[in-house]
Amino acid sequence: MDSQLVEARALEAEITALRRACVEPPAPGEDTSRVRKSFRETYQADSEGWELSKDLRSHLGHLESEIQFLSTLTGISIRHYSKKTEDLTSTEMTEKSIKKVLQRHRLSGNCHMITFQLEFQLLEIQNEESLSSVITDLSIIMEPTEYSELSEFVSRAEERRDLFMFFRSLHFFVEWCEYRKRTFKRFKGLSLTTPLPPTPSTNLAHYMTVIHSWTLAALPSQNPHYEKYPEAVHLSEGASSSCMGIRNPSRPGFELVIVWRIQIDEEGKVLPKLDLLTKVPLQALELDKNGVIETAPLSFRTLLGVLGIEATLESLIKSLHTEASN
Amino acid sequence: MELANTLSQDGESRGGVLAHLERLETQVSRSRKKMEEPQSAQAEESALGTRIHELRRLRDKLRAEVKQHQASVKASTTNVEPDQTLEITEQESLKRKWENVKAILQAYRFTGISGKLTSRGVCVCISTAFEGNLLDSYFVDLVMRKPLQIHHHSIPVFIPLEEISAKYLQTNIQHFLFTLCEYLNAYSGRKYQADRLQSDFEAFLAGPLQRNSLCNLLSFTYKAEPEGQSFPFCARLLYKDLTTTLPTDVTVTYQGKRKYCTFCSHD
Repeated sequence: MDSQLVEARALEAEITALRRACVEPPAPGEDTSRVRKSFRETYQADSEGWELSKDLRSHLGHLESEIQFLSTLTGISIRHYSKKTEDLTSTEMTEKSIKKVLQRHRLSGNCHMITFQLEFQLLEIQNEESLSSVITDLSIIMEPTEYSELSEFVSRAEERRDLFMFFRSLHFFVEWCEYRKRTFKRFKGLSLTTPLPPTPSTNLAHYMTVIHSWTLAALPSQNPHYEKYPEAVHLSEGASSSCMGIRNPSRPGFELVIVWRIQIDEEGKVLPKLDLLTKVPLQALELDKNGVIETAPLSFRTLLGVLGIEATLESLIKSLHTEASN
Repeated sequence: MELANTLSQDGESRGGVLAHLERLETQVSRSRKKMEEPQSAQAEESALGTRIHELRRLRDKLRAEVKQHQASVKASTTNVEPDQTLEITEQESLKRKWENVKAILQAYRFTGISGKLTSRGVCVCISTAFEGNLLDSYFVDLVMRKPLQIHHHSIPVFIPLEEISAKYLQTNIQHFLFTLCEYLNAYSGRKYQADRLQSDFEAFLAGPLQRNSLCNLLSFTYKAEPEGQSFPFCARLLYKDLTTTLPTDVTVTYQGKRKYCTFCSHD
């Protein structure tokens, strides 16, 4: 009975407490007031903050279009960047008013179809007279990796810690790749629409049109009067391949293959290297008294020097085309 | 009880039978009580039991009510909170984006070409470096109009700016900028090397280092050993390609006599 009494007492007490809880204007009352207060505080603390956020939004928009503009101007789009700073100044150095700081930078983005990820360290030493900044480490990851010419170039750039040469050569390399692609496409008769990047805010729209006018002008093959040779031209790996084959469907067995490599030399210079390979049936070789086919690669080089790349390629295509049709 | 009391007060005289009767009565009433007690105890117990039952039921009911009440209150507070937290997180994300964008704009200088928008167009800043050492920067202020014009610039006079702009400025601005970059980086690198030769190898140089402003023609006299009797060599470095930092022609002459090195100033 005692236990029951105890229980009864406990229940009664609980009930009274619960009754109180139901009836009282909520502790939530305190909560909402707390919430309102903190809201007010934050509102006031940046109440310029509310307006700041509107300004921030428009300012952000402006900065974003500035980045878009820079990316059009340089051809390089930076997507992520972070930096860490480490102060290496020792007490000895501070006495001599020398400051030593190590910065670790991480940068990633793309230049057309090639994406890059860089990590480099910058050591800054400031003494009374001057500030010296030295890149002490550089590591580069590039994709796509099917451009084999690039892997050697990348290791050279890393060895030399030459960040600017990396970007410069990357730009010229990509420019040549695009030119090669356009030229091949033109001969194949494929469409050459270059998508324009979206135009940003109106302030910069004008500048962008100025830059884009060159994009269209520089495309040699937008001229509709250029002839196409879809049957004669063969691109084994599509427009991004480094080889273009010229055949005549009515003359199987004959093929001219133009190999167009884009090389980066030790100094970071980007140079196209074109070679001609001939594929000719044995009988034709026997008939070739003047050794035209043998000397073809050399003549090709000479022709390149005289006519330039596009005209040389066109003349080659025409020669195979017209000869066969005779 | 009273009965017992009264009896005890008066009882000594009556003694015997009355006392006996009283005793019996008390016995009976006690036994009755005893019999009743369990009953009442039972009754009490059952009453308590039901009371507890009731209390429990009431408590549960109240618990549920309070829970509901609290839940509704929470709902109302959370209706207030999300807006506020939404504001905060939106602003935070905006700030974060802004900082990120600012950082990216600054990061462009590591590509070698960065720019700042101006009222006329853009001021492009070209950075140079040699073997990881960051060197001078140069700027070109462009007016974004057709035709593109250079408003002003800090490119040294001996860099063929007119040639490069005539070729590329109107048709391919990227090519223009990167070509200029090439020339400037090469010049910066040659200058840096010449400076270091002068400062770091002072002991080896037998005379001043002679150079032109483009730093693509250097001549100097040097000794194989800083001390000692070795005869000086005359070196002449020519950098024909202005876009490189390596010489294309190197001539080293050696004269047994102390006299006469073609490009050296001393006799």
